[in-house]
Amino acid sequence: MHEIRIAEDLSRIVLEAASERNLRKVTGINISFGQLVQIVPEIFEFAFREIVKDSVAQDARLNIEIIQVKMKCSKCGTDFRVEDNIFKCIECGSVDLEIINGKELFIKSLEGE
Amino acid sequence: MEIRIMKNILDRNQNKAKEVRDMLASKKVVMVNIISSPGAGKTTLLERTLEEFNSKFRIGVIEGDITTDRDARRLQKFDIPIVVINTEGGCHLDSHSISKALDSFDLDNLDLIFVENVGNLICPSEFDLGEKFKLAVVSTAEGDDKPGKYPLLFREAGAVLLNKIDLIPYTNFNLENFRTDLRNINAGVPLLEISCTKGDGMKEWFKWIEDQI
Repeated sequence: MHEIRIAEDLSRIVLEAASERNLRKVTGINISFGQLVQIVPEIFEFAFREIVKDSVAQDARLNIEIIQVKMKCSKCGTDFRVEDNIFKCIECGSVDLEIINGKELFIKSLEGE
Repeated sequence: MEIRIMKNILDRNQNKAKEVRDMLASKKVVMVNIISSPGAGKTTLLERTLEEFNSKFRIGVIEGDITTDRDARRLQKFDIPIVVINTEGGCHLDSHSISKALDSFDLDNLDLIFVENVGNLICPSEFDLGEKFKLAVVSTAEGDDKPGKYPLLFREAGAVLLNKIDLIPYTNFNLENFRTDLRNINAGVPLLEISCTKGDGMKEWFKWIEDQI
């Protein structure tokens, strides 16, 4: 359900950017979602379509990239991908970790004319 | 033409949350964002906690509720400031609605604010409200698989309360599985095993929350 609110915030950013640049049409939107935020792309797309109906972004293609969860060990510095929800350094076993990827709700760019 | 944007989609919520967090810190008010599924026991937890602390600390409550004020009515007997935010179907609170709710409190005369988020384990986890920490409440009747299914909440929680431990004998809840699952996701998070109705573990919870103020 959070898809709806995130789609609303995305459409605001897109429509503002489109109007600043006087775009007649937004043709594509490039976004990344981290795996931890548990967005269901189909629901997101459905919500987004409803919100941008009759706007310059109504036919925009949504390019959604899902980003895996990646952590950095604060003890030994190893970067690793989290598998099976085990947040533990694969080299030294430390649980003192920093998140690098996985929480993104990010708009990279849009395409338009 | 490609236009680079490179922006967090929830920037607006995040910026407001930061404003709220800084403001509460300057007023020395601790705000706790309580997140659970519907029926895990958030309101009962608040009732027990208010009974314990109402004469000791100055407490306010923000009740996130989809359409009713039932939870808020359960807390009216404590004679504390309560604001209800009806989300009208929305599955989470956000920092703008919290900021508005905070305007109706006298923050110079409060120590602690509990925010009872809308019952849901996914959506509220992504919306920073400006809280000092998130409290994840999960009950044994929901099953022992919740940390693995909702890793973000359990990864980010300042503490996890496992409620209704008195019901374990009547369910297939496996405490060891729950603990292992939680420890894999967040090895260091305090886990408090409680029963709000029977009183088990409540002393430890009261002590823990008191240490945060």
